[in-house]
Amino acid sequence: MSADDEELAKDLGLLSALTIGVGTMIGAGIFVLPGQAAAAAGPAVALSFVVGGVISLFTALSASELGTAMPKAGGSYYYVNHALGPLFGSVAGWGNWMGLAFASAFYTLGFGEYLATFLPLPALALGPVGVSEFQLGALLAGVAFIAVNYVGAKETGSVQIVIVTFLVGILTLFSILGFLQADISTLRPFFPAETGGTTAILPATGLVFVSFLGFAKITTVAEELKNPGRNLPLAVVGSVLIVTVMYAIIMVVLMGVINWRQLGPEFTTTPVLDVAEIAFGTIGIGGIGVGLLTFAGLLATASSANASILASSRINFAMGRDKLISNKLNAIHPNFATPYRSIAVTGILILLFIVIGNIKVLAKAGSVLHLIVYGLLNIALIVMREADVPEYQPEFEVPLYPIVPVLGAITSFGLIAFMEPIEIGLSLVFVVGGLVWYLAYARNKADKKGILSQYILNRADEMPAAAVSAASKAQPDGGEYRVMVPLATPRTETDLITLASAIARQRGGTVDAVHIVTAPDQTALRYAADHVDELEEDYHKVLDEAKRDAETFGVDVETHTILSHRLFEEIFDAARDHQADLVVMGWEDDTHGAPGRVESALDELTDGLPCDFLVMKDRGFEPEEILVPTAGGPDSDLSAEVAKLFRREYGSNVTLLHVADSREEGNAFLEAWAEEHGLGDATLRVEIGEIEAAIERAAADSSMVILGATEQGLLTRLVRGSLVLDVVDDIECSVLLAERSRARGFLDRLTGD
Amino acid sequence: MTTQFTRHVLVPVANQEDARTTAQALEPYDFGRITVLHVVEKGEGVPDKTPVEQSEQIAAEAFDTFRGMFPDAETEITYRRDVVESILEVADEIDASAIVFRPRGGSRIVQWLSGDRSLRLITEADRPVISVPEALEE
Repeated sequence: MSADDEELAKDLGLLSALTIGVGTMIGAGIFVLPGQAAAAAGPAVALSFVVGGVISLFTALSASELGTAMPKAGGSYYYVNHALGPLFGSVAGWGNWMGLAFASAFYTLGFGEYLATFLPLPALALGPVGVSEFQLGALLAGVAFIAVNYVGAKETGSVQIVIVTFLVGILTLFSILGFLQADISTLRPFFPAETGGTTAILPATGLVFVSFLGFAKITTVAEELKNPGRNLPLAVVGSVLIVTVMYAIIMVVLMGVINWRQLGPEFTTTPVLDVAEIAFGTIGIGGIGVGLLTFAGLLATASSANASILASSRINFAMGRDKLISNKLNAIHPNFATPYRSIAVTGILILLFIVIGNIKVLAKAGSVLHLIVYGLLNIALIVMREADVPEYQPEFEVPLYPIVPVLGAITSFGLIAFMEPIEIGLSLVFVVGGLVWYLAYARNKADKKGILSQYILNRADEMPAAAVSAASKAQPDGGEYRVMVPLATPRTETDLITLASAIARQRGGTVDAVHIVTAPDQTALRYAADHVDELEEDYHKVLDEAKRDAETFGVDVETHTILSHRLFEEIFDAARDHQADLVVMGWEDDTHGAPGRVESALDELTDGLPCDFLVMKDRGFEPEEILVPTAGGPDSDLSAEVAKLFRREYGSNVTLLHVADSREEGNAFLEAWAEEHGLGDATLRVEIGEIEAAIERAAADSSMVILGATEQGLLTRLVRGSLVLDVVDDIECSVLLAERSRARGFLDRLTGD
Repeated sequence: MTTQFTRHVLVPVANQEDARTTAQALEPYDFGRITVLHVVEKGEGVPDKTPVEQSEQIAAEAFDTFRGMFPDAETEITYRRDVVESILEVADEIDASAIVFRPRGGSRIVQWLSGDRSLRLITEADRPVISVPEALEE
């Protein structure tokens, strides 16, 4: 992507970014929680909000630094996974996702409470579960919020700015009018004895912390921000400061107008409206004031819920990118262009939480999960700084390092201690769930290692043995580069193994020689397993030779025998099961089964090769003079990589060929392409005219041609015999056809590999 | 002076599947230049529905697939909130002789919810719009 495009993709300015933060946060603290908060600490709860703001500020600073260094979709989860590896990444990902679902359920329940003030809804009994009128309103609203995100109906940016400006304006007016009505004596005692005086402040912070969960959402869309180096820290830190000040003032005003004892949940569900009636009543518009604040409450809770649902789909996307969850969850709807499955799954969770949860437990469970993520995020920052990776170049740096991230981590984890056991327990279920998930599902899929484990493993001598062993044990298995070689006949075995070993050696990986023995359809596989010798008398020989050949390269080699009825499909399955990164296979007209044997199941495979494929039309393995014809695209990226590996292994001469309409155009393209792929010193050859003839001419001077597949599904067509590659038949030397797995190539692009 | 409808056509595609089906439908015909376009839907002031990174991957897959059948096709990617407007703008920029697209199915309600882009495209366009049917299944 060019720099111009990069700019076009960024369309969120500072004001938009601020409204994301303020709009998400402002809903909860003021409109939903003041009753519970008042009951928890009395007027001193204003200090609880200040403490919450300070804790958030540390993490906000850390998140800003990480966000400017890594403006990636997924935000907090991404930083933790990147720095601490997929084990902590799983915990942070699940924690963040579930935390957002809890928080969304909480906001939606708050919406339900405001809805119930003017819309009479019945309470229902759904089988064994009773649903209150608030819950019913919340369920209806929840379905609406999810539907809006599912079909992707979006307010415009200016509408969002209007909403947030309206909220801030209304609350300012409310504060001023309330302040005029407030009586300092109503605030006394500021630290009431029945809540525990000053000791109530921190537990109350635990309760109200859910009010601060919006700032990190700005980082989940960091890639969309204009000038992120400036705007991200300003928006993240600014929104925390704005809401903290507003929360503290409004709490004082609320409890200055009505004594805190009358604001509690046993008296009212919407204390803000009671205060509004008095405050606006002094200028004779009590009813209008209540109306305005009700409207504001609905808007605020709706925008918080909406933003959280969207943010959770970003977390899913980022987890799918790191293979911690199935990417199927992130499929985009063909008409709505939304990640509809992710939204639907999160939506169902939200509705479930609304039915089973109460407002306080939801708020605190959401907070605990977020606090865990925030704590890890601060540690991630310390790891990134200490590991001193060259790619880590934040435009914004936290002041007073390491004090800020250390305090951020300590206060985030510390606040969890002030929660009730039930909320901690509920959250631990998801933390343990995240760990189990990693070990049971994601460990052998994820291939991204954390900076931390690389740091420890690279300094294995200096580090404590326990740390080294823990770091290597928690490694994802997908990290090792595996080259799978399906072997069918001994004839081509040597050349294929040579090719595979050369690549494996350059990548520091393993060769996995797989001998696929085809059994006739009529033969049961179990029977065949006992009688392999009868199917192929020399079946041991192929693998023994493969092993010997690979070992001459000093490459680790594993061998397997697979029995199957369908040779070609088995290769795909085996590549998946064995987690191959690359399959090197031979192709002769009779190698891979007779045409017609291949079933329609292969159609599904065309869109998703399990890994990269190199198909060799073997006419002798002679990598001295390599020709790489290219027209750009991911498949010729793979050709370039292979050519580079050969150059390093054998000192091959590489010639790049591009067929263009004019010489200047062709030269310009090829020079840029060669530079981009680290082949700047290769011989460049531009030809005009018919492509196949040009390749044949150039191939006459080469000993091997590496040809990128021009279309996905090449392998399928190859095996069906429907692909007529005249060019491959007309060339005298060996030809490698390279086809890149889309998923894999995508990941490569991301990691800059 | 006259020109051909197909001198330089702009072909908007939404995703890989759409690119494949559209390319199949176009295969029997002759064209001059072809520019295939993917519009990344932006929020313009609000966060996008999908991460930009994912949208760009979808565009890359769609282009690959399309160029599998039309290797000379040029590609264009734009970032706009309004997909139809963006298509018309690109058509103007590249001086397209016509816009060629394949209306995607879906029930009335789905079309309505997604903004009925087919209708908007043909009514708002300032140049010929050629609608191609889905290729018959083999």
